[in-house]
Amino acid sequence: MDRVRRLKLILWMLLGLAAAVAITRFFFGLGATTHLSDATPWGLWVGFDVMGGVALAAGGFVVTATVYIFKLDEFHSIVRPAVLTAFLGYVAVAVGLLFDLGLPWHIWYMTIYWNPHSPLFEVGWCVMLYLTVLTLEFFPVPAEDISALASVRRFLVKLRIPLVIVGIALSTLHQSSLGSLFLIMPYRLFPLWYSPILPVLFFVSAIGLGLMMVILESHFTAYLYRRKPETKLMRPLGEAAGWVLILYLALRFGDLAYRGQLHYLFASAWQVKLFWVEIAAMAIVPLVMLWQRQFRKSSNWQWATAAIATTGIVLNRIDVGGLADLSRGGSLYLPEWTEIVISLGIVAAATLLFLFMVEHFRVWEHRPADPDADPRKLPEFNKVGFTWLGTPVIAGRVKYSLAFVLAAGFGFLLLGSPRAASMGATPTPTHRARGNVGNIGLQLAAARTGKPAPATAGTGVLYLDADLTNWGVTFYHQREIDRNGGEKSCVICHHMNMPHDQESGCYECHRDMYLPTDSFRHDWHASPKGANLACVQCHERGYPRTSAHVKPCSDCHKDLVPAGATIKITTYIAPSYVDAMHTLCIGCHVKVAQKENKPEIARCAECHKGKLNFAAAQNYLYSRHAPAGRLVVLPPPKVSEVH
Amino acid sequence: MRAAILTDTTKCIGCSECVIACKKVNHLPNDIPQRWDMNDGLSADNWTSVIGEPADKFVRKQCRHCLEPACVSACPVGAMHKTELGPVIYESAKCIGCRYCMMACPFGIPRYQWSDPVPHVRKCILCYDRIKEGGQPACTEVCPTKATIYGDRDQLLAIAHQRLRENPGKYINRVWGESEVGGTSVLYISDIDLSFLTYGEQFGKMPLPDATRPAMEAVPFAFVGMGAAMAGLYWIIKRRMKLEAERADEKAGGKPGSEE
Ligand code: SF4
Ligand code: SF4
Ligand code: SF4
Repeated sequence: MDRVRRLKLILWMLLGLAAAVAITRFFFGLGATTHLSDATPWGLWVGFDVMGGVALAAGGFVVTATVYIFKLDEFHSIVRPAVLTAFLGYVAVAVGLLFDLGLPWHIWYMTIYWNPHSPLFEVGWCVMLYLTVLTLEFFPVPAEDISALASVRRFLVKLRIPLVIVGIALSTLHQSSLGSLFLIMPYRLFPLWYSPILPVLFFVSAIGLGLMMVILESHFTAYLYRRKPETKLMRPLGEAAGWVLILYLALRFGDLAYRGQLHYLFASAWQVKLFWVEIAAMAIVPLVMLWQRQFRKSSNWQWATAAIATTGIVLNRIDVGGLADLSRGGSLYLPEWTEIVISLGIVAAATLLFLFMVEHFRVWEHRPADPDADPRKLPEFNKVGFTWLGTPVIAGRVKYSLAFVLAAGFGFLLLGSPRAASMGATPTPTHRARGNVGNIGLQLAAARTGKPAPATAGTGVLYLDADLTNWGVTFYHQREIDRNGGEKSCVICHHMNMPHDQESGCYECHRDMYLPTDSFRHDWHASPKGANLACVQCHERGYPRTSAHVKPCSDCHKDLVPAGATIKITTYIAPSYVDAMHTLCIGCHVKVAQKENKPEIARCAECHKGKLNFAAAQNYLYSRHAPAGRLVVLPPPKVSEVH
Repeated sequence: MRAAILTDTTKCIGCSECVIACKKVNHLPNDIPQRWDMNDGLSADNWTSVIGEPADKFVRKQCRHCLEPACVSACPVGAMHKTELGPVIYESAKCIGCRYCMMACPFGIPRYQWSDPVPHVRKCILCYDRIKEGGQPACTEVCPTKATIYGDRDQLLAIAHQRLRENPGKYINRVWGESEVGGTSVLYISDIDLSFLTYGEQFGKMPLPDATRPAMEAVPFAFVGMGAAMAGLYWIIKRRMKLEAERADEKAGGKPGSEE
């Protein structure tokens, strides 16, 4: 298999992996697929996909300016690939944005609701317009081979110079406005990045990156298609990029010095190290490499220089876009693997499109010959009359499809349970109540007669501490029975619809403090290994098979449910432990507060002494629930109970 | 009238009534601790919280309803906007979910519904619906000690300064929110340093929208300027090349027959 095929196989795999993540992203939201948080609401998708993508595509306007405005005709051969890269780059940016926006289907609202004060509004408009310009600039290339479009093509070619000029002006605006986005965050961005001249810095570095990207792309495709590397042609571009990078360094450090921020360069924060890595990669190392003699002749050397500079400048965008935040709330943002996969997937798709275009249209002066093609095979003529010595449109489609599907499957495997991830709650195991409920029968008999219960009846005292934090409540079983209406009330707390379970406790269903769980096991009831029931044995015929049209559990579970009690299933999902405790506790508290005129016991802060996080209700004073002088000895939790 | 809230942290007993009242009137569900929370108690389902740090001090946190809000200036579609009355409110129907408002807010107030496939931004809206009809926010209404009160911003400022004057030594001599980032509608007086509400940063007086204004005002000029410069360069270079070509032609014409 040749280089091209191997690369395409890898790209298709990345695409498959990204497809799995993409589906999860749109079904379960950003929480399930990113590491973004309220503290860092922007991350890799803004930093790399949008800001990095726009900067990487800067080659388009730089090269069109070089050739059409400055009339440096020797670069004419790289205009088409550069415009194509820019076009695909901006398409990739738009796609990346669709992933990052919370409500991507509202993206077009920017055209009807205007806030011209917002740099993002301006960036949005510029990108839309520039994408249109790029489409018009590139369209003549594929149109070459389609005779029906000849007149459109002629018109667009005539329009070229105005298009190029508008394109350059638009690029200037949004390349710099991406920097303006951050002007409003002086208290968020680390001082080494925040600067009032961010827009200028962004624009200058975009020019440098555009040039470097052209070099990288030229050498990479030369390697890929075994073409002759354009080392000589690339050299002046590299040198131009060098001057741009020197200007950039001067601006950046000059600005830091001018504003008296230089002392941050020697601060001990980790962001400072990040800053040095970034500056070294985006400017210092490439500049040193540019000055070596090898840069003149060696395509590998040029390639490496461009690769390092590109990485550095993209890193700069990622840093500004979320990594180099002053940490708020002590949280550090590092991208989740899913975010990286989506970013790589978008790059992979753009690359595949690029390869498709260069193989099928005259992006280069000569279409690359497929090295895998059989040399003895005769040239094929297609209907519009150009010659193509090669393979079918998508050679190796079986392999590619397989790679895609397998990678997608693998992706779904890795994603695990997106439902749980999207809730954002770290699963907290819950544990059975500890203590011994004793002999309920004897206790009930004693309660009925009003005599004290015999010692063998046990105390009936439990200790509820489902999360084993040692903050819990002592629970008087008999008192709850009395309060809930006597002997027939078991079903109020015990669900009794677990298979073969006579006294399912809270724990059986509420297996997590915060996540709701399945209480009624529909799958068990329908499974041949379980109750083996047909649908209509529970659901009424002729009605939708929902929980609204179903027999009460007591129709079958006569032996489990106390006489006269009915359980009607209204939902398959049991509330979380916390929700259950809340409804159970609060109801009683409110009642008692009213009855005894003690409003404070119904206040949330009565239990939630933690205050800081409302959910951290840890300081519950359970001793209040234990009558004075009565000790409860708590057995330690059994390992087997730890669920 | 410019609606405002004054919170006197020395009067707060940490009962969290305001939190519950806010939850009730805004129909917010129970909280669960989530990965993306900042540990200040605010979340998409909790628009105000009582921070109990340091011990025995209570500070209520909510949106500050800045006079010149960064979130409003940032929002590309104007989903966040400042009302005449003072509250900064959010129109979910316009939002595109870019979360630029969250990035821009210096107080880190807006929170996102990360778990939702159709997520929205959530924050305190100063009970806009209630105060529009002449009422007051739920949180100030229920406060049992009047630690957090609602009123006109100027009057509340006067009250705050009066309290600072009358109780020298009790408070730190400063009204938080009077002038930071251009002033906020939610004001604090306190006996402890409140810089944790601004993540330890000392905010200047400059409203944050002013930081972007010069760049945004330069946009039309940059567009026209760049376009004109490019068109001019194109014309000059083209003309010069034409002249050069003519000269070369002339030279070639001056030596007839040299080509043959
Ligand atoms: S505190 Fe933040 S969210 Fe509230 S108005 Fe000010 S900038 Fe907007
Ligand atoms: S997330 Fe919504 S409200 Fe916030 S800036 Fe973006 S569009 Fe505006
Ligand atoms: S003003 Fe209204 S929305 Fe804001 S915290 Fe108070 S109750 Fe909640």
